[in-house]
Amino acid sequence: MIIRNIVLRHGRQVIVASASPSCCVRALSTSTAKSATTATAPKGPTNVPSFFTTPEQRAKIAALKEQMDKVPDNFKEFRSIQKKTGKIGAVTQPRHLPDEMLKYPPHDATLEMLMAAQAHMGHNTSLWNPANQRYIYGVREGIHIIALETIAAHLRRAAKVVEEVAYHGGLILFVGTRRDQRPIVVRAAELAGGCHLFQNWTPGTITNRDQILAQGKLRMVDELDRDVPGFDDHIQECRPVIPDLVVCLNPLENYPMLHECGLANVPTIGIIDTNADPTWVTYQIPANDDSLRAMALIAAVLGRAGQRGQERRHADAEDGVITWETPSDVRRFVQNTLTAKAQEKKDQERQSVEQPAWGREMVESDEDVAKAMKQLADEEGI
Amino acid sequence: MGRHFRPARVAQATMELMAANLVHDTPRWYKAVKMIPPAEILTRPYPVQHTAPSPHARRPRNLFKPTHMVYPEDELRRNFFRDHPWELARPRMILELDGKDARYVDWSTGVRQPGMPLSGECVVQRQLWLMENVPDVTKESAYDMARREFYELRQLEDIQRRIAVEEARMVGAYFGKSTLQYGMDIEDKEYERWKKWAGAEINKMEAERQKAYTNVVDLPDTPDLEEELLKEAL
Repeated sequence: MIIRNIVLRHGRQVIVASASPSCCVRALSTSTAKSATTATAPKGPTNVPSFFTTPEQRAKIAALKEQMDKVPDNFKEFRSIQKKTGKIGAVTQPRHLPDEMLKYPPHDATLEMLMAAQAHMGHNTSLWNPANQRYIYGVREGIHIIALETIAAHLRRAAKVVEEVAYHGGLILFVGTRRDQRPIVVRAAELAGGCHLFQNWTPGTITNRDQILAQGKLRMVDELDRDVPGFDDHIQECRPVIPDLVVCLNPLENYPMLHECGLANVPTIGIIDTNADPTWVTYQIPANDDSLRAMALIAAVLGRAGQRGQERRHADAEDGVITWETPSDVRRFVQNTLTAKAQEKKDQERQSVEQPAWGREMVESDEDVAKAMKQLADEEGI
Repeated sequence: MGRHFRPARVAQATMELMAANLVHDTPRWYKAVKMIPPAEILTRPYPVQHTAPSPHARRPRNLFKPTHMVYPEDELRRNFFRDHPWELARPRMILELDGKDARYVDWSTGVRQPGMPLSGECVVQRQLWLMENVPDVTKESAYDMARREFYELRQLEDIQRRIAVEEARMVGAYFGKSTLQYGMDIEDKEYERWKKWAGAEINKMEAERQKAYTNVVDLPDTPDLEEELLKEAL
């Protein structure tokens, strides 16, 4: 009885799908003789298996089947009505893109953009740091309002710094350690070709970098940012790098990092809200650091500036102008390698000729070494 | 944590270190920072005076504190929302997209503006425009003019909404229960519950009373009264 109920519940499809009704019936019925008779019984026009004994059940199944047969036609009609009436009425358009600044980063922030991003809103007047007085335009509804012109001016200055540092081949680090600032710093770093930090700053990452960054990987690149082979030995000895510029979106939470940057003489750019200390960073951008839209706008502008700098640097490198100097340790390593090579060559020559070459020939060979060094250095783009 | 002067002096410090031959490589940022020096900080210029200092003050105070920003709309807004407090209950979009919202509206054309729902702000802006542009108009008359337009449009909105509901009902829409109906239903349910409880309480009291009568054993020297009571009880 229970099995029969399951068949009823699972409906028509189970019954129709079964290859022969006899097997189904055999499973259901207790007596084989009875099942044989039901299997051979003529089927009605509604195609209802006759093992549903009561006429009510049979009628129910037939009604259900009729209803199911109507479904395709009904669906077709529904679609045609939808097609006809779908375009009636108002059209809704997505107006606000939350990721607009990340998807389409602007090259410059206008005053309207800054205001729409709520970059001008400071903190409650009682929380202010009086050192920020020169950025504040007035008091409104209990909070300080930062002057938009000041924001724009400082932002342009900072963007110029980012562009120039990128142009001179510097490494730019974007720091935003509040949870929702992750996509912002990642995007800015991607644009500027720099690094990003969205987790906690490990204290000592600059001042104790030999320990903390010991596992970090280094690459030796040429003026077009292509990897240069042959420096594996030197990379083993190299100290971990420190950034050439740090952009911090929330200086209040990153005091240890800014302090270390000061100790290591690394210039910093920071978003200074009305409660922050402007002396912690080298370049201030007074703005509302609690508004993610403002953060996204400012980081996008800085990222774009970095991108411009990188593009300019690459274009100059294509023309043969290199905007940065090879570090002295790398230069020394190249010199030592070349000297060693030349010495090796000389030894080989001496062995092959088996003739001591002193005096006049010595001078000539030294000149040759210098020439070879120069040639090698030129080849390696140093 | 005091004042910090190292961040502002990175270029000078590096220059001195290089002069002392303690730093051998010129940092990559050096040219950029030399070319673009940091901005001036920690000085306090005389701030923009949005409000005049108090005339009763004997000597100037808080000269270098930022002042309160006041706009002519503030008073108009205050008056409007004092007169129409329920206008504050309407939902309002405060998100600005491109920051150019003010450029899309023209208050000379009336209270209704494209892309902006009708609100108290429309009245305030229209009143301000009238005050500034119509000759010999007082603040009160400008308020009345703007308000009249506003009321008409609000009435129109009500009528449109009513007709839309009627039309929808006509073609078979139904809107379910209203919030009032929901409230009434909850109240009715509570009454029913109370009625049940009160009935049970009455029955209980009645039973108590009955019990008090049935427990009476005997009354001294009034046998006929006892008989009567017994009859009553039966």
